[in-house]
Amino acid sequence: MSAADLARLQFAATTGIHWLFVILTMGLVPIVAIMHTRAAFTRDPAKAAVRERMTRFWGQLYLINYTVGIATGIVMEFQFGLSWSGLSKFAGNVFGAPLALETLIAFFAESTFLGMWIFGWGRLRRGVHVTLIWLVALTAYASAYWILVANGFMQQPVGYQVRDGAAYLTDFAALVTNPSALIALAHVTLAALTTGGVFVAGVSAYHFARDAKETDLFRGSLRLGVWVAMLASFFVIIVGDMQFPLLRRTQPMKIAAMDDSGVAQVQAQLLQQYGPGDYTLPGEWLRVSMDAMTIIGNTISTITLIAVILLWKDWLVRWRPLAWLMTAMIPFPFIASVGGWVFREVGRQPWLVYGELTVADALSHVSTAALAISCATFIAIFVALAVTNWTLITRLARRGPDATQLGALQPLAEDKQTVPAF
Amino acid sequence: MQTFWLALLGLLLSGYFVLGGYDLGVQLLHSFMKDRDAALGAMAPFFLGNEVWLVAFTGVLFGAFPHLEGSLLSGLYPLVVAILVGLVVGNTAVQLRRRTRRGRRWWQALIVAGGTLPAVCWGLVVGLLLHGVPRLADGSFHIGAGQVLTPFVLACGVSVALLFASHGAAFLALRSAPDLAVRARRAGTTLVGAAGAAAVLALVLTLLGVGASMTNPLTSAPLTGLLATALVAAWWSLSRGHRIRAFAATCCATVVPVLLVGAGQHPYVLATKAGAGLSVAEAAADGTTLQILTAFGVVLIPTILAYQAWSWWAFRARTASSYF
Ligand code: HEM
Repeated sequence: MSAADLARLQFAATTGIHWLFVILTMGLVPIVAIMHTRAAFTRDPAKAAVRERMTRFWGQLYLINYTVGIATGIVMEFQFGLSWSGLSKFAGNVFGAPLALETLIAFFAESTFLGMWIFGWGRLRRGVHVTLIWLVALTAYASAYWILVANGFMQQPVGYQVRDGAAYLTDFAALVTNPSALIALAHVTLAALTTGGVFVAGVSAYHFARDAKETDLFRGSLRLGVWVAMLASFFVIIVGDMQFPLLRRTQPMKIAAMDDSGVAQVQAQLLQQYGPGDYTLPGEWLRVSMDAMTIIGNTISTITLIAVILLWKDWLVRWRPLAWLMTAMIPFPFIASVGGWVFREVGRQPWLVYGELTVADALSHVSTAALAISCATFIAIFVALAVTNWTLITRLARRGPDATQLGALQPLAEDKQTVPAF
Repeated sequence: MQTFWLALLGLLLSGYFVLGGYDLGVQLLHSFMKDRDAALGAMAPFFLGNEVWLVAFTGVLFGAFPHLEGSLLSGLYPLVVAILVGLVVGNTAVQLRRRTRRGRRWWQALIVAGGTLPAVCWGLVVGLLLHGVPRLADGSFHIGAGQVLTPFVLACGVSVALLFASHGAAFLALRSAPDLAVRARRAGTTLVGAAGAAAVLALVLTLLGVGASMTNPLTSAPLTGLLATALVAAWWSLSRGHRIRAFAATCCATVVPVLLVGAGQHPYVLATKAGAGLSVAEAAADGTTLQILTAFGVVLIPTILAYQAWSWWAFRARTASSYF
C-alpha cells in the first residue's frame, strides 16, 4: 500500500470506530437526562427510587461507552496534524477555527461536567446534579455541531477566499451556517436518537423476554426507548431525503454515480470546472451504503410505529418473539450510520476540501513505514476498545440494574469478595 | 493578538502539565501504592476534566497556529503516536478497571503503561524542542532515533517522567487517607530528588554545549532557577509533611518545562537552534481568524476557568471514589 492508502485507511478506520461510540453516546445522553429529571421530580418515594435506579443503570451503560468514545476522541483531535498537514497548510485559517471552538466550547465543558455528574451522586444538590447531565447533553450536541461545521467545509467550502494558495476566512457567518453542516447535524442528531432509542428499547425488551424482575423499571425504559426511536426514525428519513437537492447542486458526481446515470456528462462538466482529473466515483459503494440507510431506516420506522401501539398493556413484550425482535434491532442503526458516513465521505473523493484541495495533495511527508506501524497500532487498539466496550455493555445490560456501580456510595460487596488481594 | 493566543496556548499546555501531569504521575505510582482503589479514587473526580486541557491545547493549536500544528505533529510523528497510544490505553484502563470482575492485573499493567509512556514521551518532546529540530527548507521535519537517543533528550525524558511521578505523589499525599498519604509522601521525597538529579544532568549537558540551544538564555536562566527552587521546596515540604506547600511546589515545577519551551525560545515556536526556526508570526493563523477566535476566547476562557474551579471546589473533600 502507498503512504496515501495507509493514511486514508488509518483515518477511515479510526474515525469509523470512533463514530460507533459517539452515536451511542449522543443517543443515550438525552435519554439518561430525561430519566434523571423524572427521578428528581417524582414525589412518591417508591416511584422515585425506581426512576433513580433506572437513571443509574442506563447512566452506567452510557458511561462505559463514553469512556472509549473520549479516549478515541483524543486521537481524532490529533489526526489532521499527524497525517494531513497539507490541510492545515491550505485551510488552517478556516478549518482550524471550528475545531478550536469545539474544544473550548463543548469538549471542555462536557468532560468537566460529566466528571462532576459521575461523582456527584449523594454529594451535590439534586437540582444541580440534574442540570449537570443536561449540560453534558447540550455540550455533546454542540460538539457535534462544530465538528460538522468543519466537515461541512470539506464537503462544501463556504465563507473563504483563496490567496496565494491558501484559504482565508472572509465570512464567519457563512461558515457556521453552511447548509451542508446544518442538514447533516439534523440528520445525525435524529440518527443518534434512533440509535439510543432502539438500544434502550431493545435491552428492556430483552429483560421482559427473560422474565424481568424489575418490571417497573424496564417498563418505563421500554416506553421511553420505543417512543424516542419511533419519532426519531420517522424524521431521520425525512431529513435524509432533504439532503438530496443540496447534493445535486454541490456534489453532482455523488448522485450521478449512485444512480449510474449521466456520469460521463458530469465528468465532462467537472473537467471543465477543475481541470484534468478523474472525478468518477465507485457507484457500488454509494449504492450499498445508501441502501443500508434507506432499508434500515424504513424498517425501523415501521417496526417502532407498530411497537408504540403495542405498548398498550405491554403487548409488545408479552409475546416473546416480538420482544426478541426489539432486541435484535439494536445493531442496525449502527450499520445504517456507518453507511451514511461511507456515502458522505466516499462521495467527496478525490477532494479533501471539495473543489480546492485533493486528498493526495494534503498528505503529510511521513514515511510509509511509520504510517504502516501507526496504522496497524491504532486499528488494533481501536478494535480492541470496540470489543471491550461491547463486551462490557452486553454484560451489564444482561445483568441488569443490580450490577450498577454508578452512584453507589460504597463499593459493592461482591466487588470486595472477588478482589481479596486489595 | 498573536501574543494573546500564544499565551493562551501556553496556559492550556501548562494546565495539562499540571493537571494531566498528576494523573499520569498517579498512574505511574499505581503499582507501588498499597490501596490502589484509593489512589485512583483521589484523582477520579478530576480525571475527565484534566484530560481535556490537552484536547483544548490541540484545538487551539490548530485554530490559532495551523502552520505550527501541521509540521509539529507530523514531524514528531512517532512520539505523538506513542503519547496517544498511552493516553488511550491508560484512560480506558483507569475508567473501566472496575467494570470487570477479573483481569485486574491486566488493567493494572495498562494503567501503569498508560502513565509511563506518555510521561516519558512528553519529556522527550520537551527535550527535542529545547534542543531544536532539524527543519527542512519546506518547513517540514522528521525526527528519528538519531535525534531522540541523545543524552540530553533522554535526560529530559527521564526528568519529566520523574517530575510527573513526584507531582502525582504530592497530589496523593494531599488528597488521600492518612496511610496512603504517608506512603505517597515518602515516595515523593525520593522521586523529587531523582527528578532533580536528571534535571541537573540535562543542565550540565547544556552547559557543555550538547544540550538545549536557547534563543533567550536570559529568560531561561531564571526559569531554570525557578525549577531548582520548586524542587528544593517540594523536597523540603514533603519531608517535613507540609502537604499543601509540597503540592504547590510540584505544580510550579511541572509548569517550568512549558515555560522554557515557550518563553525560552520566543519568538520561535519551533526552533531549529538558538535564534532560528518557525516564528510565532509565521505559525499563526490569519488576522481575521484570530479576531473571531478572540471574540469567543474572552468569554470562554474565564467561563472554563470558573467551572473548572467549581469542580475542584465541589470535590475538595478528601474522599475516595466508588466508581473508577
Ligand atoms: C430513508 C432513510 C434515509 C435517507 C434517505 C438518508 C439519506 C442520507 C443522505 C443523502 C446522506 C448523505 C449526505 C451527504 O453526502 O452529504 C446521509 C448521511 C448520513 N446518514 Fe442517512 N439517510 C437515511 C437513514 C439513515 C439512518 C436510519 C441513519 C442512522 C441511524 C442514518 C445515518 C446517517 C449518517 C450518520 C450520515 C452521515 C452524516 C450526514 O451526512 O448526515 N441515515 N443520509
